[in-house]
Amino acid sequence: MNLSVLMPVFALMTSLLASVVLFALPEKGHRLRTIINLAAAILKIALVGVMIWGVAQGCKYEAAFTMLPGVEFVLRADALSMLFAGLSALLWLLTTIYAVGYLEDSPNRSRFFGFFSLCVASTMGIALAGNLFTFFLFYEMLTLSTYPLVVHRGTTKALRAGRNYIIYTLTGGAVLLFAIAWLHGLVGDLRFQEGGYFSDIAPSMRGPLAIIFVLMMVGLGVKAALVPFHGWLPQAMVAPAPVSALLHAVAVVKAGAFGIIRVVFEIYGLEAAKDMGLLAGLSVVAAFTIIYGSTRALYQVDLKRRLAFSTVSQVSYIVLGLCLLGPVGVAGGLVHLVHQGIMKITLFFCAGNYAETLGVHRIDELDGAGKRMPGTSVAFTLGAFGMIGAPPLAGFITKWTMGSGALAVGMDWVVAVLVISSLLNAAYFLPILHRLWFAEQCEPWPHERRWGRLETSAWLLWPPLITAALMLVAGLIANLPFSPLSWAELIVAREVAL
Amino acid sequence: MFASNLLLLLAIILPLASLLLALRPDWQQAYRYCLPVLPLPALLAGLTLGPDASLELPGLLLGGLWGLNELRQVFLVLTATLWLAAGVFAVGYLKVHYLRRFCVFWTLTLAGNLGLVIAQDVASFYSFFALMTFAGYGLVVHEGSKEANRAGRVYLAMAVAGEMAILTGLLMAVQQADSGLLADLPAAVAQADRRWLIMFLLLAGFGVKAGLPLLHFWLPLAHPVAPTPASAVLSGAMIKAGLLGWLVTLPFGEVSLPGWGNVLVILGAVGSLGGAVLGVRHRRPKAVLAYSSISQMGLMTLMVGAALANAEYAGPLFAVIGLYVLHHGLAKGSLFLSTAMALPAGRSGQWLLWVLVALPGLSLSGLPYTSGAASKLAMKELLKPENFEFALAPYLPALMSAGAVATMLLVWRFLWVQRTAVGTGNNPVFMWLGWGLATISSLVLFWFLPWPREASVPGWPGSMVHSAWSLVWPILLATIISAVAWRSVKQR
Repeated sequence: MNLSVLMPVFALMTSLLASVVLFALPEKGHRLRTIINLAAAILKIALVGVMIWGVAQGCKYEAAFTMLPGVEFVLRADALSMLFAGLSALLWLLTTIYAVGYLEDSPNRSRFFGFFSLCVASTMGIALAGNLFTFFLFYEMLTLSTYPLVVHRGTTKALRAGRNYIIYTLTGGAVLLFAIAWLHGLVGDLRFQEGGYFSDIAPSMRGPLAIIFVLMMVGLGVKAALVPFHGWLPQAMVAPAPVSALLHAVAVVKAGAFGIIRVVFEIYGLEAAKDMGLLAGLSVVAAFTIIYGSTRALYQVDLKRRLAFSTVSQVSYIVLGLCLLGPVGVAGGLVHLVHQGIMKITLFFCAGNYAETLGVHRIDELDGAGKRMPGTSVAFTLGAFGMIGAPPLAGFITKWTMGSGALAVGMDWVVAVLVISSLLNAAYFLPILHRLWFAEQCEPWPHERRWGRLETSAWLLWPPLITAALMLVAGLIANLPFSPLSWAELIVAREVAL
Repeated sequence: MFASNLLLLLAIILPLASLLLALRPDWQQAYRYCLPVLPLPALLAGLTLGPDASLELPGLLLGGLWGLNELRQVFLVLTATLWLAAGVFAVGYLKVHYLRRFCVFWTLTLAGNLGLVIAQDVASFYSFFALMTFAGYGLVVHEGSKEANRAGRVYLAMAVAGEMAILTGLLMAVQQADSGLLADLPAAVAQADRRWLIMFLLLAGFGVKAGLPLLHFWLPLAHPVAPTPASAVLSGAMIKAGLLGWLVTLPFGEVSLPGWGNVLVILGAVGSLGGAVLGVRHRRPKAVLAYSSISQMGLMTLMVGAALANAEYAGPLFAVIGLYVLHHGLAKGSLFLSTAMALPAGRSGQWLLWVLVALPGLSLSGLPYTSGAASKLAMKELLKPENFEFALAPYLPALMSAGAVATMLLVWRFLWVQRTAVGTGNNPVFMWLGWGLATISSLVLFWFLPWPREASVPGWPGSMVHSAWSLVWPILLATIISAVAWRSVKQR
């Protein structure tokens, strides 16, 4: 076996093995657990970094074996998988650091970090999956490994949210499995392939394929929180902040969006999906979700809940981008996979910091928090402006690219959707920023903790500062190679012949 | 060439780097004294670099290009001078109340304002514009009063709406041009199928900043409530960013658009006269000055309309607009700063101060041998009805004269309300310095600043004598009206 086969396996195994070890560790082994966690995360970043470099040079990394006759297990690193794997590896490290600080002195850390690693292993598997079957395997593994994280606190509310989550996602998974099996019956085992398979499909096949497409979108749309399948997401925010951060930025919603990308690009093919009229419907759903999520966010008083509805809205940018049938627009959608991840994780880290340091959960309790916690608030401010799409932050690059792409193919209404969404984002983020920086603190903080000289624990402070900086950098150097935008353009150039 | 590139970069990097001073609370006093230093590289760039200076930053955003041209040079000199004067003034003006926060927002707004002048690619231009807009909110609401917060809300709501219009307009223009450079936009917009929509979006979007009538509501609320040095830059420099936005994106010199010319001339006339009508009713000096800014921007809108209406005259009109921008920015900056100056105890000192406060105001209304006279003469020279063919062209001279009367009325009103608002006492030395710098640049330095080449006023010390009457009669008329009004109020 040579290295090109082993690399994707190694990338997957780092977190899988870490998870096994972490489960086995005694509850008290705090230092050892942290070391294992961080070592695994850093190792994974290194592995993914090497693969990104290799993929840019045109290397192929693939490991495959036959599980059953006609069903293969395929792990493969291509440009698209690296977009997701890179995001996931990077944010895993930061979230691990954050989680170590966040869960200080709380019970059941062994269980938490074990499932946490398992969850990341699943995302890595989703990123590297080379066919629908492998994808589905990890997709379900993700559901099962995130459930214990959502209910980690064990409160009634958490258990109810968890039950809701599991009902939604398992049903979605069942629908997806049904669709995959049907497709398998029709055309056999399909590896993900550039340009897809159905560009010159017989007319008689179109009907079933269209139904399968819809079923797949439903199955994947549950995790991607497309309206009307988004109900679980705002409830799941009862989870601890690092879990919410991971859920909203990398793991669950992104898994859905990433699956949609894979199916549209590499099973159906953009052209075929467009010819069958499938993308028009999808784009309408995505556009509706964008507006709906933002509108709902406007009325939330709980900070994390507002952020959750914002996620509903923002993830659909990715889906909408795919439906812009030109290279520019598609790149705009793809790059948002990364951009939304770093922006939203910043915001959730910050929300966690306010909760953990000041005991603040509601937006109207945030008055004057900028003075007490300037570092966190700067990160939050950058994240919020990124979400609004203000230049030069990452969100602007997305919006600009998608807008240009939409105009290039004559889909002007998409620009209107983007503008309305930006206005709504401004309407629900700017008042928070006003409270942070310009309102005077009226009441004492609900539940304040002190960490000496710093505004909060360094473990909690640095991750949002780093992701905020990344978001700024991703926007500022969008034109350089290896920036998220350049990578998305590389994917489009390689994978989608438009 | 290398050094010149560095200077452009430094003009932006220095303000941004100064944000490091905000890292620790006990550095805030040092930060305060750094404020005047921040615009210096930009000023140096504006004064020493030629109009061809440019700097490519291929990795920045979607491909960056910064640089100057004749128009930008004038804008840069004005912007940097005014931020310098206001920065010096701020050192003396600022209290300890949220000092660090003020310095941060000041710096960010300054960086945005300078950056948008030198940005030549769409993405950086829009980035700097947005930075200035959003950071400017921090200056508007700084005092934290109910009034300031309300003004801030209106400011932000209109600014965000404006940003969206600009974004959409720029997206469409860039799509049409297939280029991310501002220089390629006017030609592309001229050719576009949906030219009217692009122009409408850009005019409205930038019009919010420029205080175009009906888009101006935020302006008389926001400019006065900000701390005085911030009011000065808001009304002197930042308001011009909207104008610059028009000048660099609309299809000037490409096609003659008499329809748009008419619309803008009407809006300009409404702005210049309506601003005065609304302004004279206000009792607070800064509010009167804010309306005066709307009125003055109206006159500039008049020129923008004429330049749109006749492509041939766009070039020379740009030069005159540049001249006017420089003149108005410095004079208005000086006037705003003077609102916070306390009068000295001695009588002669008081008189001297009043004269120095009044002079930039008189300059606004075109007193001979002031910057205002020079710009007004240059403007009149160009806006002769025979040069233009659009419907409203014959009324241009009358509108300009009416504008001059309106301006002078506002100046009298300002002096009147300022007299009741002002106290006596000592001013910190930095306030004297800042105000003095603005006033001197408005009255004297103006003549030595780099003028746009095409705005030559032929043999003008002589010509000013010839045209003295045309300059003076609006001032006299307005003075008579003010005197009558004052008497009638006194008798009541």
